[in-house]
Amino acid sequence: METQGGATATPRNQTVMHRSSRRSLGVELTSHFGCTPGQLTAIRTQTRREISKPRNLSELVDPEHLAALVKEEWRISYLTPMYQFKHTQLQSYSKRLAAFIVAEKQQGIGVEVGPEMGLKVVFSAVHGLAETEDDAEAVFIQIHSKSAAAEGEATKVVWSGWLCCVSGEVEYLRSLSTDFTCLPLFGASGAVSLTTTVMSWFERTFDCYFGPLGIDSTGLKWLAALWTGCHPDINIRYLKLSWTIPAQPPLDVSYTVHPQDAWELWNSIREVDGLGDTVGIEEVTYFMKGLEMHFFRHFRIYLSAGTLTKVTTALGSAHRDGKIRITSGDMMTSVLALLTECALLKMPI
Amino acid sequence: MSLLKPFNKLPELNTANILLVENETQFQKKLADTIVQLENDVNVIVRLARSLPLPVEIAEKRQRIDLVVFIVHLSSEQSLLSTEVSLKQLESGYFMGKMCFLVTGARCGTVPSERLTSLKKMAASLNSPLLMTEDGTTEGVNTAAQRVLNMLKISAGLVPMATGLYLSSLIRYTVPADPDWQDQD
Repeated sequence: METQGGATATPRNQTVMHRSSRRSLGVELTSHFGCTPGQLTAIRTQTRREISKPRNLSELVDPEHLAALVKEEWRISYLTPMYQFKHTQLQSYSKRLAAFIVAEKQQGIGVEVGPEMGLKVVFSAVHGLAETEDDAEAVFIQIHSKSAAAEGEATKVVWSGWLCCVSGEVEYLRSLSTDFTCLPLFGASGAVSLTTTVMSWFERTFDCYFGPLGIDSTGLKWLAALWTGCHPDINIRYLKLSWTIPAQPPLDVSYTVHPQDAWELWNSIREVDGLGDTVGIEEVTYFMKGLEMHFFRHFRIYLSAGTLTKVTTALGSAHRDGKIRITSGDMMTSVLALLTECALLKMPI
Repeated sequence: MSLLKPFNKLPELNTANILLVENETQFQKKLADTIVQLENDVNVIVRLARSLPLPVEIAEKRQRIDLVVFIVHLSSEQSLLSTEVSLKQLESGYFMGKMCFLVTGARCGTVPSERLTSLKKMAASLNSPLLMTEDGTTEGVNTAAQRVLNMLKISAGLVPMATGLYLSSLIRYTVPADPDWQDQD
């Protein structure tokens, strides 16, 4: 019965994920305008998530790594699964990446791999960030420069980056072949030229692909709600939201809410709508609507006409262009889990 | 409150009326100019509105409108909300081949995917076409104008052997018969 209309399948049938339960109709009047790949990712978006409790990571994660992670502002990217990446060979990756960077700088002149390369690359595994057993261990990369002038002094970190996967979608991770390691979220801090070099080394060595990961307004709203929700446990000090309104001239709105007020609004929504231990996208939407309506009452500006560009609290900040800063280790896993989810949505199916 | 009706006035000879509804009023002027420049054989009258209902005072003088186009910018939530409100001001006759959605910004990666999904659902529930357009480039505006113009000529009855209802049943947006779409409400 299933294969009845197979011969006359429209192009739409081929682009949609193949599922055994699909019935293909012989004649299907469908719009060809609708065949965008976007619909494949849109349907995987999560609409409910568990309430995240602040957790003290300092017992799980090496304090040195934790300190390095919370210090910087990271520019994040997504990364497709890496072929033949082994956590056991991090040492050799360090040497190879260092040699690659030097070779890129010298443009064609032979490079001797040795201690006097002027820079040192350190790959290290970060234990304790992975949440489920399907998550691969996070990897932290640092590039130290050893300039001749600073001989004898402690080396300076010129670039750092990390790859991680926190609570990745189990179904997707299990569907990958064992040759692949999925660490979909990549954060980099340092010179852009170094970031590009590191990316191209990864792309060549592990046959993967990097792409910029912007955080859409839904993601930012989730983050705002997530941070506000943990206010009773950790003081968020303020909730600052930035909007850009497309007026002439463009209007930038910065909207700072007292944490207690924000939390009371969030709590009142949770009380009305609360369903056990999970938060739904509707509640997040109501929360933001409430804030937007309050703003409208005072300034007669519809914030929803613009775009949310940035969310900041004392725990961290996230920008629409994919720049994040996490200043507290306690909520790090939930933020990284959310970003991992955004990154996984970018993966080709 | 008066609904916009598609069949309460007689059509004029060799004339097509189009109404562009856009809350932001940034794209409709460009599109209107291009539509008028592209068409030489038929009198095309383009009307612009920020939202519906249209003013009642000049309702008598206004010619009948053959095609209503809702322009939705995915970058702005207000755009989607305003469209939703305006839709209620149309009489059901418009949903039989006399209206369509024009979406901009769908390629932008930072636009929340839920917006496009809810718009697609809206289009599917109203059996109406959904056109994806690019508003930033001249080429994109030209293409959009050309597509809208083709629909306009058919819905105004200027193309022999074709009707708006027929065209719309061919190009209307439908939700795929995929289990994942059925789960979401």
